[in-house]
Amino acid sequence: MKPTTESPRMDRRHFVKVSALAGGGLLIGTHVLFGELAAAETLAPAPADFAPNAFVSISSSGAVSIIAPNSEMGQGVKTSLPMIVAEELDVAWEQVTVTQGDLNPAYGRQTSVGSQSTPANFLPLRRAGATARALLVQAAAQMWSVPVSECTTERGTVIHRASNRRALYGELATKAASLTPPVNVPLKDPKDFKLLGTRVPGVDNPKIVTGVPLFGIDVQLPGMLYATYTKCPVFGGKVVSANLDVVNARPGVRDAFVLDGVEGLPSGVAIVADSTWNAFSATDKLQVQWNEGAAVTQNSVEMAKHAEQLASATPAPALPSGAKAVQAVYHYPFLAHATLEPQNCTAVFKNGVMEMWAPSQIPAVGQGLVSRGLGIAPKDIVVHITRLGGGFGRRGSNEFSIEVGAIAKRLEGTPVKLMWTREHDFAHDNYRSNGWHYFTAGLDGAGKVVALHDAFVKMQGGPGDMSANGFPFSAIPGSQVSSSKLPGGIPTGFWRAPGDNGNVWATQCFVDELAHATRREPLSFTLDLLGGAAPQLGFDAQRMTSVLKLATERAGWGRQCPRGEGQGFAITRTMGAYVAVVADVVVNQAGELSIKKITAAVDAGTIINLSAAEAQVQGAILDGISAAWFQKITIERGAAAQTNFDEYPMLRMNDSPRLMEIHFIKSAAAPSGLGEPALPAAAPALCNAIFAATGKRIRTLPIISESLKWS
Amino acid sequence: MSKYTLNVNGQPRTVDVASDTPMLWVLRDALGLVGTKYGCGIGECGACTIHLDGTPTRGCQTQISAVGGKSVTTIEGLDPKGKHPLQKAWCELDVPQCGYCQAGQLMTAAALLKSNPHPNDADIDRAMAGNLCRCASYFRIRQGIKRAAEIGSGSTPVEGGSQ
Repeated sequence: MKPTTESPRMDRRHFVKVSALAGGGLLIGTHVLFGELAAAETLAPAPADFAPNAFVSISSSGAVSIIAPNSEMGQGVKTSLPMIVAEELDVAWEQVTVTQGDLNPAYGRQTSVGSQSTPANFLPLRRAGATARALLVQAAAQMWSVPVSECTTERGTVIHRASNRRALYGELATKAASLTPPVNVPLKDPKDFKLLGTRVPGVDNPKIVTGVPLFGIDVQLPGMLYATYTKCPVFGGKVVSANLDVVNARPGVRDAFVLDGVEGLPSGVAIVADSTWNAFSATDKLQVQWNEGAAVTQNSVEMAKHAEQLASATPAPALPSGAKAVQAVYHYPFLAHATLEPQNCTAVFKNGVMEMWAPSQIPAVGQGLVSRGLGIAPKDIVVHITRLGGGFGRRGSNEFSIEVGAIAKRLEGTPVKLMWTREHDFAHDNYRSNGWHYFTAGLDGAGKVVALHDAFVKMQGGPGDMSANGFPFSAIPGSQVSSSKLPGGIPTGFWRAPGDNGNVWATQCFVDELAHATRREPLSFTLDLLGGAAPQLGFDAQRMTSVLKLATERAGWGRQCPRGEGQGFAITRTMGAYVAVVADVVVNQAGELSIKKITAAVDAGTIINLSAAEAQVQGAILDGISAAWFQKITIERGAAAQTNFDEYPMLRMNDSPRLMEIHFIKSAAAPSGLGEPALPAAAPALCNAIFAATGKRIRTLPIISESLKWS
Repeated sequence: MSKYTLNVNGQPRTVDVASDTPMLWVLRDALGLVGTKYGCGIGECGACTIHLDGTPTRGCQTQISAVGGKSVTTIEGLDPKGKHPLQKAWCELDVPQCGYCQAGQLMTAAALLKSNPHPNDADIDRAMAGNLCRCASYFRIRQGIKRAAEIGSGSTPVEGGSQ
């Protein structure tokens, strides 16, 4: 079988030094923020270079190829980022072939986390497209001896109307390649966008629906072997000994060995076999004596007790005299990422070069791990970025890269695909941290919130801390947040919408509680709070208000519901986008929950691809609902207790709402990302709706562990 | 190791694997048909759904020794040109997000449409509940099935076909 991932037509290390394509053509890039990556690899300018990076190539036959620099994991960047280039280049989308870029400093910021791919690349990619267009216009103007200002472009053609002359981009490519790129090229007025804001289906869809290899797990190389790497179930444990003789004797096993002492690589046992199944079967027979280490004393029950001690050590300040106290404790558990494609990576080490195929959100991190751990210079680590079978923050840490790298280095010359079992994937995640909010609010005689205190507790390390800068704290003078940490030992990390994914649930549910405690209608209560929110950096109360009004209006907020039916809403500003979600639910007397409809309004600034934007909002909302309704990782003896989807249920078709309405605010503001922002408000909207339907307040997740029965 | 000759997507294919090897890994590793995906290995997620004589079956729970002469259809054989109504609908409505589960979703949905060309919401819930979509693209999967029913109006999944 041939290598199955797409590669640029040229070797990455030569790519940036070549500007004229074989047969004549144009490669063009732009100066973008490279940060440390660019500094690490300074590229000597060659006479034919336009710029030190390359996003666009146009052949003299007219083929337009645009590089997708970032990792595609469902958020749509393999389509939407090239759309940005195509818009300014002024070509028809049908003319464009998209190629996934390898890891290459020339492509700028290749980190797909924090919903930053779009906002960070928006201007650089517009400039890349506009610069290419300007050169093509310049080439035409010179050819026709007319001023550049008299030339226009349309769908891959330069036009000089006065003389009625037209030239296709392909015809101009060779000439344009000889010109010097202009600086400060003007960008389009957003009102002239033709492609951005439309619905463009994902460029890989035809391959996905016919089963063409795309993902990391799909990589196949001649002579490739298949590996597992077994780490201690207790976090941080190390191998003492293993029954390698038994494992080596299993069918198809080519090698089995302990790896220890490699920087950045947790101690473990590698098993290499001639098929995935033989590797898995041999792994089943592996017996390891572990030194389990300190984390073995950790468990979820003790963490809850400890959290309470930490919270009570930071009591709420005294309430203003006469204020009535409202108190509540909210708790959310650890979550697994559970990307449907388990962690995997493929590598071959040959002639001093490590070539890798990585389903990674931050491929440079994997390259760095391999470089430090195995003593290979970054320039000798070639990383091809495959499509990712889900990311959700899981594939930033890249431990699969150093694992397969260490195995491939030992098997020099032989390609190795490392495959984690689903069980290993659940056992060795960087979990969403658990968290506790001990809220105390004070209400005055008129029902106004005059004090708000949150004693917040989470695991040491990882993202997700609380501050008093966010809503609703910013709307209540004198509000306070104190934050304490449980001692570490459990690996936690970035999980879609870090921090907000649990904290917005807690705070938005508590705001709903306060509305009810003050006998206020929740919508007008929240709108009043927003009206009084102190101005702060990055939070526009007006944009927040607009999405809340739009979502509630479209959802028919305020309708009278019979017992067992209810509506709830919640709001968030996450990763620069403003989102309001309204949930309509039914809970029967037996306590069975069903979500009838989700209505959302989103202000994400300029929308790049309406289809992907809408899909991300739908998916993020359902992901938030899935996590809140069903999901929980418990820690027992320093290890995750849940091992597979039978013990870790997730949302399925039959639990998904049949009605979903997503409304976008029309905006020319700079785009935010959309992979994450719609998630945090989903769970509180659902829980507030459950309260409206049943009078039951969900203060501990997941919902499925609470009884919703009513009579 | 034993030799087995299978009928895969309309073609005879011979492989030499251990008799307990699940069809999932026979297809992926021995035959290079990697469209069928590994998600859980315990029949919970549906990413490995294939057809055995037209019946949707979990590839991870079906050992090669149990297949015999049954015809095996994978996503690569649903319609290699992508002209199955479901494939058309999936592209038209931009159903996939990460896309990893979609082979399994399509194979399950193809069997549903074959037995029930115009499924209602409850039919779709019942048929599709075994297929996990981690991106939760369920809203568009439901739309896609309904759209495919329109496109196909009595559609017949293509059994076999060339690779």
